[in-house]
Amino acid sequence: MAALEITGLRKAFGGVVALDEVDLSIPGDMITGVIGPNGSGKTTLFNVITGVFPPTAGRIEWLGEDITRMRSHQVARKGLIRTFQQAMSFPGLSVLENIRIAMERGAQRGGDSGRRWPSAEALLDFVGLEGRAEEEAGSMPFGNLRRLGVAVALAANPILLLLDEPAAGLSDNEANTLSELIIKLPKMGIGVCLIDHHMTFMTALCSRLVVLDFGTKIADGAPASVLKDPKVTEVYLGGDL
Amino acid sequence: MEYRELEMATPKSEVGASAPSARSRPDPRNGAKVRSAAQGRLEQIIFAAVILVAMAALPSLHIGYRFLSIAITTGYTAIALYGLGLQFGQAGIMSVGHAAMIGVGAYVAAMLYVHFGVGFWAALPASVVTAAITGGLVGLPSLRVAGQHYIIITFCFCALLVVCLTNGGSLTGAATGLDVGSVGRVFGINFDKLANYYYLVLIALVLTLAIYYAIVNSSYGRTLRAIRENEQLAQAIGINIDLQKISVFMVSGAFAGVAGILQAYYLRHISPTLYGAFPSLYLALMVMLGGGRLMFGPLIGAIIVSFLPEVMNLNPVDSRIAYGVALLIVILLLPGGVSAGLLNIYRWLAARVGAIRQNGRGVVTALDNEGRGRR
Repeated sequence: MAALEITGLRKAFGGVVALDEVDLSIPGDMITGVIGPNGSGKTTLFNVITGVFPPTAGRIEWLGEDITRMRSHQVARKGLIRTFQQAMSFPGLSVLENIRIAMERGAQRGGDSGRRWPSAEALLDFVGLEGRAEEEAGSMPFGNLRRLGVAVALAANPILLLLDEPAAGLSDNEANTLSELIIKLPKMGIGVCLIDHHMTFMTALCSRLVVLDFGTKIADGAPASVLKDPKVTEVYLGGDL
Repeated sequence: MEYRELEMATPKSEVGASAPSARSRPDPRNGAKVRSAAQGRLEQIIFAAVILVAMAALPSLHIGYRFLSIAITTGYTAIALYGLGLQFGQAGIMSVGHAAMIGVGAYVAAMLYVHFGVGFWAALPASVVTAAITGGLVGLPSLRVAGQHYIIITFCFCALLVVCLTNGGSLTGAATGLDVGSVGRVFGINFDKLANYYYLVLIALVLTLAIYYAIVNSSYGRTLRAIRENEQLAQAIGINIDLQKISVFMVSGAFAGVAGILQAYYLRHISPTLYGAFPSLYLALMVMLGGGRLMFGPLIGAIIVSFLPEVMNLNPVDSRIAYGVALLIVILLLPGGVSAGLLNIYRWLAARVGAIRQNGRGVVTALDNEGRGRR
């Protein structure tokens, strides 16, 4: 059963239609990838799901509950946690405090966050930030900031984690470390929905790919078959070859 | 002060040396993690305690009524400043209309006394609650406008309150204001005696500090800092930022309410001009001068601003110029306020002493305006 069920989702900014009649179901036990060219509506999709702004039309259901008009913090409290394209943290606070703030929120939902990572230190170990608890988040190098962004989201106790371009700006090496981390999550009971441009990164990680173009879904399925789809190759490579 | 400058102060004997140093030095790129958060907190408590003990000793030094009066003013002003410290230092929302909150507390107490004969202790909860509710209401626009725009709104509210009080007829005593009674005797202690009233204010100040400390180090305090640092991320992990902002305005208002009633019963007469634009700006000045993020920052700010004209023997016009110069110096040289500067100097000295004692070299970390060690 799909955890997140999106039907007929539409979002228009004035005359610009960012999302047009998108139907999508995202299961909570695997890694789903969303790809598409710049401006195809990927981040808008995340923003609408997590209540940053309301959709123009359509319905979003999360674990059988209508969350279409809910605000960001309400959606987050249901276990739907997102990260941001720009590596985000609480820059002036220590790494430990960043994690603790999110953990205290995550604990309010109950569930099994405490069992996964009994302490902030355990979570920092998991994302590879061990020994950096007392550092100021804003003064860390970019790669660590990305890890911290993921760690803060994990600390908030997600059921489904929405990652918005987690590998953007990372070296191949760093991206590999990150994908090793992400691939462990479904086994820990955390579903992942991932946006990225990095094709090798995505095909290695995702068991399913959804392709968006100009706000509409043009393909959905296993990575191998999706990438052979003529509509997808047209979007990415520009038609006849 | 940056890491680099502090390092310059130590002997540069190993420049170019290939042998690894026995003492590991933090890599500047990775940021330093020398001082733990708990250690930082302890230092702050010690600093605050030293100031409070010094204040408690004041009346026994035979300093005279004038000096003691300024000390009382400093005390209740500092109580209000800790509210502003939470709002500005922790949640990151400045206000230049905070004297209006004190005014609400003071006028509620005065009106209850004049019209209903209610005394200090019964009026205290009423002042606190009314000021808290007013704080929450004035905070509402902050959910829509941020930064300087909200600051202007607080300024307007302050002006509005003065207009209302001035035109309040017999209810508020209009421009003349209201006369307030005295606290009188409690448990045989005569609070009409200036030194005793000073101790009352001081006890309230100690309680305020304890509450402030508890809030800052609680989950609630962390939530406020999260909002200050990144509202978008705070929402994404499930923080209701609107609710939390209003709550901090209410807490801030409650602190101001306590300050207000203490002021009313100290002055025994209050009038609208006490709560206008200038007193409000002074409160903002005190927080910025002292530093809003460290525990003893607001207290130092209050002490400096209250005692500067007295110690330097300045007239009101000159003292305003002195405040302006002081604020410029602090903003340019001590972004964390005088409190962060003092803690920095203390840590630098402590590290130097430690280094000399070991006959080695100690690399000293500077302090950021959060009170933590930094590269």
